Amino acid sequence: MMPDDAAPLPPFLDLIDQASSAGDRLAGLRANARMRYLASGWPHARTESWKYTSLNPLAAGQFASTGHGDTPVLPARPTIDGPRLVLVNGVVRPDLSDLGDLGPGVRATRLANGSDPDVRALASIIEETDSTDGLPLAALSTATMLDVLVIDIAAGTVVERPLHVISAACGEGAALAPRIVIRAGADSVATVMESHIADGPGFANAVCQVTLGQGAMLGHYRVQDQPDTSFHVGLTEVRAGARSQYDNFVLSTGSRLARNEIRGRIEGSGAEYRINGAYLGAGTQHLDTTTFIDHAAPGSTSREVYKGVLTDRARGVFQGKILVRSVAQKTDGYQMNRAMLLSGRAEVDSKPELEIYADDVRCSHGATVGELDPEQVFYLQARGISHETARRLLVAAYVDEVLDEIRSEPVRQAMGQVARNWLGRVIGMPGEGRS
Amino acid sequence: MLKIDSLHAEVDGVEVLQGIDLEIDAGEVHAIMGPNGSGKSTLAHILAGREGYEVTHGSISFRGRDLLDMSPDERANNGVFLAFQYPVEIPGVTGMTFLKEAYNARRAHAGEGEVDAMQFLKLVRARARELGMNDDILKRAVNVGFSGGEKKRNEVLQMAVLEPALAVLDETDSGLDIDALKVVSDSVNRLRTPERAMLVITHYQRLLNHISPDRVHVLANGKIRRSGGRELALELEANGYAAYTERAA
Repeated sequence: MMPDDAAPLPPFLDLIDQASSAGDRLAGLRANARMRYLASGWPHARTESWKYTSLNPLAAGQFASTGHGDTPVLPARPTIDGPRLVLVNGVVRPDLSDLGDLGPGVRATRLANGSDPDVRALASIIEETDSTDGLPLAALSTATMLDVLVIDIAAGTVVERPLHVISAACGEGAALAPRIVIRAGADSVATVMESHIADGPGFANAVCQVTLGQGAMLGHYRVQDQPDTSFHVGLTEVRAGARSQYDNFVLSTGSRLARNEIRGRIEGSGAEYRINGAYLGAGTQHLDTTTFIDHAAPGSTSREVYKGVLTDRARGVFQGKILVRSVAQKTDGYQMNRAMLLSGRAEVDSKPELEIYADDVRCSHGATVGELDPEQVFYLQARGISHETARRLLVAAYVDEVLDEIRSEPVRQAMGQVARNWLGRVIGMPGEGRS
Repeated sequence: MLKIDSLHAEVDGVEVLQGIDLEIDAGEVHAIMGPNGSGKSTLAHILAGREGYEVTHGSISFRGRDLLDMSPDERANNGVFLAFQYPVEIPGVTGMTFLKEAYNARRAHAGEGEVDAMQFLKLVRARARELGMNDDILKRAVNVGFSGGEKKRNEVLQMAVLEPALAVLDETDSGLDIDALKVVSDSVNRLRTPERAMLVITHYQRLLNHISPDRVHVLANGKIRRSGGRELALELEANGYAAYTERAA
């Protein structure tokens, strides 16, 4: 019998039940995750990491874990020249993917029905994430996942074209738990772009786990452009080896409620870890960016720059924690969150947090909140440019500045187009390319 | 071309212009000189349509139209150009993009089609060459990291491209060393035409050594206290503004 003061059961146990009927190789992982999910419980108002983002609207939603379905009509997505790997409702779809066109040294496999011999190694990666305290949604994701897309880049491989992972939610009320594992071998070079799209309201609970071998270089980018009726919770977990270079950028324009969380552990020296992003919100959207960087080795660099543009009654949240362990001497860390509010009712909460145990480190952080500078608007107007065009030019320039952090040129172009489409919708002017 | 009639204006309830009367015809260059706080820059800003000033009385007619009734961009597109005392930095927007937007806005206003990037580049290069400049400055973000001289040269280049009917030069000499002052004022002189009027606002006489005005007005405590020819500027250089500020006090 349950004790009287037991926490109420968390929501979405029905989704777990629906997923558990799949009866595939993932059943054991899902069952373990279900127990972790029940143990951690649903985040509530006093849960520190969810203080600024209430999950109540999500918990009140009705969703179904549909998994397989007819070949969907994929909604509009950013285009990029490279092989596509498509997941529909969390299930890898070989029929929609270019699995055979990945080039030498790159392998994409699916765990649910594939024949990857190394299931145990994958299981340890998958189970490590959501056993961390405070990540009940990752446990829920594992408990409801129907497939795992595993991307392996062999040591020393240089992949020229970006791999485009498209996770599509299809069907009204679809619940999905897209899971991606990326293993970048030593001294490999690759680019992966994820596009998270949907054709209607739903709940995407995505997890991506990245391991960078020594000297690996990975550009890892993410566009979250679901309709603003849907929910998106995304966790990216990175383990960065010595001398590795990780370049991440997240563009978050979609969903009614979205959290983009990136947790990175720098495990070797000489690593360069860059996580950047832009969140563009309108209407009543709530866009949350939560980052955690764990410097667990000496002599590495981390840099994070996020920028938000919020209008109407949109709300942004930025939580950025940097932990520098006592062993991590000579760490160089930089964090910046800037937000531009285009309406008096838009708001942003910014919570930087530095926890430093080493004494010989350089770590700085900053946050700014501003509006469009009326001096700049006037200067443009005084040259004949209309107020509306002036606003569009200035906001585009503000966003472009953070897009410039993206090291992959084709990805920067694709992201720029998504950002410009957003500007066109929200500021009401046709998008146009940079000149 | 420009007729200012009994203009009174307030900032935060304080009357900073106390009845300005001024008339400038095409082809004329007028200078307004005055001490700090006399209302010189206020007048320039009101002409350009900057917010924060309340016109409580009087009128401004520009080419027969009510200037105060127009938004800042309408004024610009009708031929008013303010060369800023402190040109504003616009990070992330190149000078070329900025100026092309402005140029095409003006063309659209005149019912003309837009020019494309190539046509515009040719035009800008031609204008820059006429002023003895190159267009490198336009490849950079507008005014970002510019020296004082570069900022003012950039203003003059914009003026050359946009070809205003009325150019208001607000303290164009401030922040310039003697060489930069000469370069900028030579460019302004090249832009003097029989069709164009100029209003040169300055604290110091030295700019007027380079840009010779047809008329000089002394502005003190929100009112034009005296008007005269070029020799008035020299008199001010010798005697200062004390006579005017005391008389008003």
